[in-house]
Amino acid sequence: MIRQEAPRQRGGDARGFAIAAAALAVALVLPAALNTYYVRILTGIFLFGILASAWNLIGGYTGYPDFGGAAFLGIGAYTTGILMVRAHLPFPAALPAGCVLAAAAAAAMGALLLRLRGHYFAIATLGFMLVLRQLTANLEITGGGSGMNLPPASDFKIFYYWMLAGLVLAVLAGFALPRTRAGYAIAAIRENQDAAQVLGIEPLPYKILAYAANAFLFAAAGGIYAYWLTFIEPLSVFNLDFTVQAVVMALFGGPGTVFGPVVGAVVLKTLDVTLTNVSLFLHNVFFGALVCALVIFAPRGLAELFQASPGRSRWAALRASVRRALQENRV
Amino acid sequence: MPLLAATGVTKLFGRLAAVNRVDVAIEPGEIVGLIGPNGSGKSTLVNVITGMEAPTAGRVEFAGADITGRRPAAIARLGIARTFQIAQPFRNMSVRQNVAVPVLFRAAHAAGVAEALRRADEVLETVGLAAKRDLPASALTTPDLRRLELAKAIALRPRLMLLDEVMAGLTPAETDAEMGLLRRINAEGITLVVIEHVLRVVMGLCRRVVVLHHGSKIAEGSPQQVTSAPAVIAAYLGPRHAGGGGPETQ
Repeated sequence: MIRQEAPRQRGGDARGFAIAAAALAVALVLPAALNTYYVRILTGIFLFGILASAWNLIGGYTGYPDFGGAAFLGIGAYTTGILMVRAHLPFPAALPAGCVLAAAAAAAMGALLLRLRGHYFAIATLGFMLVLRQLTANLEITGGGSGMNLPPASDFKIFYYWMLAGLVLAVLAGFALPRTRAGYAIAAIRENQDAAQVLGIEPLPYKILAYAANAFLFAAAGGIYAYWLTFIEPLSVFNLDFTVQAVVMALFGGPGTVFGPVVGAVVLKTLDVTLTNVSLFLHNVFFGALVCALVIFAPRGLAELFQASPGRSRWAALRASVRRALQENRV
Repeated sequence: MPLLAATGVTKLFGRLAAVNRVDVAIEPGEIVGLIGPNGSGKSTLVNVITGMEAPTAGRVEFAGADITGRRPAAIARLGIARTFQIAQPFRNMSVRQNVAVPVLFRAAHAAGVAEALRRADEVLETVGLAAKRDLPASALTTPDLRRLELAKAIALRPRLMLLDEVMAGLTPAETDAEMGLLRRINAEGITLVVIEHVLRVVMGLCRRVVVLHHGSKIAEGSPQQVTSAPAVIAAYLGPRHAGGGGPETQ
């Protein structure tokens, strides 16, 4: 799970950005052409695109398998809700406050939890999320277990654009990070923390940076989600399902890559919606089987198949991947 | 004033003294050999000096400042570089990115990634890895991995380098090339501590050798002195041989 791509300047990035720019242009005009149903589906895809890209910062680039992402989504949702309902702040003012608060919470928790490694970190972050859920269910300011209503928006399309903006921010973060000094520190820590330390890197601050950036983006998605749904309760936002889906999408698309997580979100969410429409039973079977197959045959995600070396087809890359899986007795 | 002074350094693991009241002083510009049989405490001593492990007792001073128990990153930035006995590359990063890491985090670090990569290329030229700079480190052979370890240490621009068996697994010809490289590094003013099993390397490079056995310093002096010292011969070959000649010097 923690065998990611190094930060690497590739020709593929330029091409990726050309495609991304074209996709963004299309995304900006799409709501005018689509009916409400499809705009809603796309808004949901963008939501998971943000989550997968955000998780990629800590789970992919840094190699820390965070399972508490929903904690920050919940902080973003509730902070936005509380500020709008109780302080009567407009949404654009409430949302950033939630993001900043989540980043601060991540920095504080990260200072403790990021000293743990591997499974211990995963379990500890999950525990943090569950504690926050209980806390929210028992506080008065959050409305407790009965939840909280947010003022409705005048036009549902604004959620589409807010999510799109969040997604652009998340992708830009994933693009910029590996190209900076901090990104080199994070990559070195992921690859070999001892070796990184003796070359002058103090690991904790850089891990906290990646964790806080991840939390900021989860909270952004959470705040928009809350305003979109107009009703939140502890179970709906402090929801492990958000985290797990983000992890699966990032791993599916290619952890440690700029566009992999977004591609993972688009492909898996589209499949999800399509199969659900066809048959709920088939949806469950196909989805599980697909995830299993990918973990076995392309453990570094789709990106691995699309980074086939020149002169070697994607099909050959897939076959090589299967052969490798067989040799390593993963099948 | 010595560049590095370890005084009474002791490291206990449970009741076992991996390093036992060792005093070592390294003068600026020296190449000092640190030898001893397997398990004699050489690597533990290096770990204590570089802050990877806190000593149970004793004190480490570098350039006059007490660095005992400081964090590895801080000690690295003060100017002590080390290589690992088993190469520790950043496997999924390219060779030049590996070397750019210390350039970005040393005391006088490069302003940005582009400059760091340029500086990394200069170091790769020195160690003879320039042609392989774009390969992922995971694709390197064992001798090249050792060169990469060395390149990363050089790129930190240290005043002192602790080299933990950089020659292990090299052919005699490769060993000669590496010895030439170490002499050039030393000629640029970097003090070297060479931990080595290959006696030919120690005899060829070092004027002074420190011998550890069971965590204690049992001899110190010129290569000729230590290899003829009875305690050293007994440590390597067993007490029966202590009366005869020195250990094999190839």
